[in-house]
Amino acid sequence: MAHRPRIGAEPILGLVIRRWWQFFLAAPLVGIGLTLGAGQALAISITPPSGVSPNGNAIYNLYLIISIPAIVVFVLVEALLLICVFRFRRSAQPPGYVPPQFHGNRPLEITWTVLPFLILVFIGVLSFRVLQQDFVRPSNAATGLALVVYAHQYGWEYDYPQGFSVQTEGLNAVQNPLVVPTGTLVRLQITSKDVIHSWWVPDITGKTDAVPGYYNYTWFKISKPGVWRGECAELCGSGHSSMQIRVEAVSPAQFRKWVAEQEAKAKTASVSPASRPVESRSAVAAATAASF
Amino acid sequence: MALTLAPPKPKSYDDTFFKPIALWLTTTDHKLIGIMYMTTGMIAFLIGGIFALVMRIQLAQPNEHVVSAELYNQMLSAHGTTMIFFFVTVFMTGIANYFVPIMVGARDMAFPRVNLLGFWLIPVSIVVYYMGFFTGGALNAGWTGYPPLTEKVANPGLGVDFWAVSLIIWAISGIMASVNFLTTIVALRAPGMTFRRLPLFVWAQISTSILLLIVGAPLAADLILLEFDRQFGTNFFTTVGRPVLYQHLFWFFGHPEVYIMILPGFGMISEIVPVFARKPIFGYSTMVAALFGIVFLSMGVWAHHMFTVGLNIYLETFFMAMTMLIAVPTGIKFFNWIATCWKGSITFDLPMKFAFGFMATFLLGGITGVYLASVPVDTQLHQSYFVVAHLHYVLFGGSVMTIFAGIYYWFPKITGRKLNKTLGEWHFWTVFVGFNATFLVMHTLGLEGMPRRIYTYPGGFGEQDWGPTNLVITIASFLVAISVLIFIYNLIYSWRNGEPAGDDPWQGNTLEWATSSPPPPYNFERVPPVRSYMPLRDLRRMRERAAQLERAAAPPPSTTSG
Repeated sequence: MAHRPRIGAEPILGLVIRRWWQFFLAAPLVGIGLTLGAGQALAISITPPSGVSPNGNAIYNLYLIISIPAIVVFVLVEALLLICVFRFRRSAQPPGYVPPQFHGNRPLEITWTVLPFLILVFIGVLSFRVLQQDFVRPSNAATGLALVVYAHQYGWEYDYPQGFSVQTEGLNAVQNPLVVPTGTLVRLQITSKDVIHSWWVPDITGKTDAVPGYYNYTWFKISKPGVWRGECAELCGSGHSSMQIRVEAVSPAQFRKWVAEQEAKAKTASVSPASRPVESRSAVAAATAASF
Repeated sequence: MALTLAPPKPKSYDDTFFKPIALWLTTTDHKLIGIMYMTTGMIAFLIGGIFALVMRIQLAQPNEHVVSAELYNQMLSAHGTTMIFFFVTVFMTGIANYFVPIMVGARDMAFPRVNLLGFWLIPVSIVVYYMGFFTGGALNAGWTGYPPLTEKVANPGLGVDFWAVSLIIWAISGIMASVNFLTTIVALRAPGMTFRRLPLFVWAQISTSILLLIVGAPLAADLILLEFDRQFGTNFFTTVGRPVLYQHLFWFFGHPEVYIMILPGFGMISEIVPVFARKPIFGYSTMVAALFGIVFLSMGVWAHHMFTVGLNIYLETFFMAMTMLIAVPTGIKFFNWIATCWKGSITFDLPMKFAFGFMATFLLGGITGVYLASVPVDTQLHQSYFVVAHLHYVLFGGSVMTIFAGIYYWFPKITGRKLNKTLGEWHFWTVFVGFNATFLVMHTLGLEGMPRRIYTYPGGFGEQDWGPTNLVITIASFLVAISVLIFIYNLIYSWRNGEPAGDDPWQGNTLEWATSSPPPPYNFERVPPVRSYMPLRDLRRMRERAAQLERAAAPPPSTTSG
């Protein structure tokens, strides 16, 4: 093909890139670099939390793996669009230029059908492996602590196997966290008493819906002591945004101490928290909603 | 504007175009009905936008109380419902109503009176929905309206009932329009307009109509069951019923609805790109195949909205695979548009600017869709601001940008005048910058754990402080609002004072450019011959050849011309 005069943006790109296709080699690296740099510079997250629990960490790793083809495809296509804008605009073409009137190109079309398909198969297979490994109900044998979680408007009730429960109403979850031991697989068996809610602590793992009528299961195994925030992730009424979650992980020894305290408290109280009358709870809920 | 041509008279309707109300109320002309659809859609767009701005003010800072939590929930539901049902879908139907009959060379839609009824059900549906605001509160459970939150126990007001009835009416209207489009396209094509020569916008409308025809009824069924629960005490979706069944039925409609909103946009881009690149569309038949690939796949992806409700993991894998697969036909369309531009001689008039703006932004919506398709990743991103950002990239960066492109492209045909270029440039750059500034940073909020649909958030606890990011988003959202105001002003200004455009301002390829601007009530005095999918280009070439022959024949007196 005859050499055409180069006009438009090409002198700038031409300093390092002699031919348009060389742009493709550099572009994905530049794109990944820019994305990471921008995230760092502005102190905003460009990935989900890395997850203090193995299943949350699996999500994080999967997200990173998907990001590689995603950034490559994004940068490639945007680069193609930019080439169209700068190289093929009429003012960049020689006067009287008549575009070639081609209608298709079989090998090219097959390539851009099969290649994305293969990328997606790759992502799909990886996702399925994580799903099969980390998103099934843990067996009783593997479970170190099995909690039953009841959601309601607008709070949570965590029933411990020892017979007591942690109850939160709206914002008081901040002072009243769910306490769990580190290094132990904690299984949550979640349901709801009224409308649909969703239990989500981003730093631990993904969310699980609390749907009335059946139990959903999720689990976590927190590696280090700490407190993590979360909140209800399914619109559940006017107090939705107050329906906070706090998870506090403590060492197994501290946890045993805490359990003993709770058991003592449950014994001294004549009415156990689990069987507290419903009216008082909804009254607290109404008060929380009103104060919010 | 420098031209001193006489402004074109609205020759089509004997100067009665704007005057009698009776004409607008009773007309069965698909063009006037199309204009009414588009006007209704535009008004809905403004109303929905106002809701969005109030919500952004509420979210600008932590612990704000600009509106009450209850009103906030009503507004987020109204924003979604208005934009999805009353703006994008209605506007797309309007454009198709105006142009599909002209593009296939028909005089009107196949069932003009059904068309009229179908249109008038839309204002009825809108009024019914908004009645909720005046009777103690509209729907407050999000546009998806998941029970049991929408059941009588949790939600005794009338808002949910008005919403359900409104959408049932809307679904009926949509089904009417779909039947009408399909019949028009199958039965009323001009001689020579075979299926292989249909413009791609018409193909897109076929696929959209098929989708709406299939999924409109499930939506109505779902809402009727909900109303049974509310009014007659049945237990389909109550706490003792199956709340998740509602979600299955809703998303069986809801996900194809996404494609109902974007496929006509794809069609418009497929019309605009070849015209401004001065090249034929690359891969016409693969474009059609991709459309039907999307139609087929889109009906098997609905449960990807439900990856956290606790489905069987093998079922989830199926829906994950289908969702990922749908990226393939969408990718084909993208590459075909780029290949159409390749080696072209592109002029960046406003329709083409918006087409490129669409491609540059929609791409990101498509890519974040792959993240959301992956089940494990979705459990982290679902119901967060990441999803809000994703869906606005798809709906605003996708559908709304194509709507803008379509308006700049076809406004000259509808009114006989071009939209003002300076205002248009301002509109493009403010909306492009404002949109990306609003929604690009919104992804990060979701990644930091901010759920969607929350009324307010405490500032500064944990590691992340959402306040500054939200403030940036709120400021940027007002840039989008300014751009829309510029656009509306441009529409009103140019309708009367725009530069006269002539019949074929863009050197188009399809039949609508063969008739006058605006077209007469009967559309064509004579339908031009259709011998390819670009009949107008053929016509121009024929005329050029004839002129050449004439020039060649003129100097020496010909012996055969007699």
